[in-house]
Amino acid sequence: MRMTRRAALAVAIVGLLVMLGAGPNGALAHREKHTPAQLKAFEELFLEQVKIGDLLFHGDEATQKRMGVTLSKSGMSCAMCHPFVADVHPYEFPKFQEQMNQVATLRDIVNWCIEKPNDGVKLDLDSDAMRALEAYMLWSTRGSKVDPGRH
Amino acid sequence: MDDRSQTRREMHQVLNGDGERPAPSLGITRRTFLHRSLLAGAGLGIGTHGWFPLINTVDLAFGASEFKFAWISDTHLYPKSVNTRFVDTAVRAVKEVQAMSPPADFLIVGGDIGQLGDPVELELGAEILKEVTIKKLYIPGEHDWYLDMGVAWEKLYGHSPWAMDHKGVRFIGLDTVSRAPDFWTIKKMTPKERMGHMAVLDGSVAGAWAGVGRDQLAWLDRALADWPKDKPVVLFSHNPLWEYYAPWNFWVRDWREVHEILKPFSNVTNVHGHVHQVLYNEIGKMRSIGMLATSWPWPYPPQGVPALSPCQTRVDPGDPYDGVGWSRLTMTTKNAVDNEYVMWRKDVIGEAPWDSGCGDNNNQILSPRLADQIWPHYGAYK
Repeated sequence: MRMTRRAALAVAIVGLLVMLGAGPNGALAHREKHTPAQLKAFEELFLEQVKIGDLLFHGDEATQKRMGVTLSKSGMSCAMCHPFVADVHPYEFPKFQEQMNQVATLRDIVNWCIEKPNDGVKLDLDSDAMRALEAYMLWSTRGSKVDPGRH
Repeated sequence: MDDRSQTRREMHQVLNGDGERPAPSLGITRRTFLHRSLLAGAGLGIGTHGWFPLINTVDLAFGASEFKFAWISDTHLYPKSVNTRFVDTAVRAVKEVQAMSPPADFLIVGGDIGQLGDPVELELGAEILKEVTIKKLYIPGEHDWYLDMGVAWEKLYGHSPWAMDHKGVRFIGLDTVSRAPDFWTIKKMTPKERMGHMAVLDGSVAGAWAGVGRDQLAWLDRALADWPKDKPVVLFSHNPLWEYYAPWNFWVRDWREVHEILKPFSNVTNVHGHVHQVLYNEIGKMRSIGMLATSWPWPYPPQGVPALSPCQTRVDPGDPYDGVGWSRLTMTTKNAVDNEYVMWRKDVIGEAPWDSGCGDNNNQILSPRLADQIWPHYGAYK
């Protein structure tokens, strides 16, 4: 994934803040107290992923092209069946999925939806696009009760 | 009582004012009665007005001779080169309507024939609907309209609103889609961009656009002026004529004004599309029935469904024929109309929480989108 300028800037700021706060051993930066500026930067980085995931979830062509992914060839998008991420229940995974006949993770079922109803090309489970989709789905349903395995 | 039940009851109390009920001659068919008994036997609390146990019928009071009509909507056709899935389901519905015996008196096509207002999609719809030889009536959906502001749609399907008297019932077709506030001019959007925003159910750019509009309200007032107050009125609309869930335009913004006009009439039914789901409600004296899409089912919105509504069963997302269908409405000689959801599966309604499209969502909290916000103050209506 090519990062947007804003995201790149945020990464740079976080890096700088971590270095400044890290003392002699940068790798142990989290032992220091966080500053509000750090937290804001963390959140910005996260929301950047949420926004990318939101665009992918809603079938945005430019974002798919930029990331080199094809989530659908049928004209359908995730949001067509799941407005506001309704009925996805990302907080219930992993759980047994009948259509896959296995205990599936959220990423597994995302790929199932891309391949089956959407007729798209499934994502690498560790890809940037998958990470962004996961960020969006969990952000959009934040506050829901975590209940893994619930059918 | 769980939180969701509480919310549903509160919705019902707020929306359904004191003393306002549809005509008391509510017909209960044997099928519904049997189902009520079975539910009571199973120990489920259904004794109150607010829990109307329906299988796949909604019984409505009318005072006319028996006849049937059919509803198809939300076919969301793409050009065949992109997707034939929705063509297949639309064709199946059309064939079944044509095969009805005895035949329906007419078919009402409730909007969203196309997906992106493309003339290719709208012409494909007209081609598919040619198979139905009974009288056909049309009202537009937003997906039909916002590429060329209804030019292709009106050319193929005619103008709305309209009124038609049929066997003692005044049928009215409304246009609840064409009066969206102009969000495109100031942003210099292309017609395709405008259509794109209208086509996203949970988008924030087009906002809560659905409405009847002052001019059409005045028309409705005139269209009902000579109609006896105790005779049945059936209103067809793409969006529901009550406030169900504005962020997805499961409403019209001026539903209160609509109800002011309808208030003197004792027997009013609204049959609407757009929601792609089993839905029933009563507001004031008006009954309202949501229709299935032939394309795909929408989930129930985050706040749940009205207390009066049954909940459709959870469907198999891998089966294009599941959770979708059309409606067969039969006006009986016993002054009742059965609405039969033809959903192409055995069980339309899911009673158990794990099978119900409502009960499944008890833990669910949802948020509006982030990525498409271009207006200040978005989310004020959520």
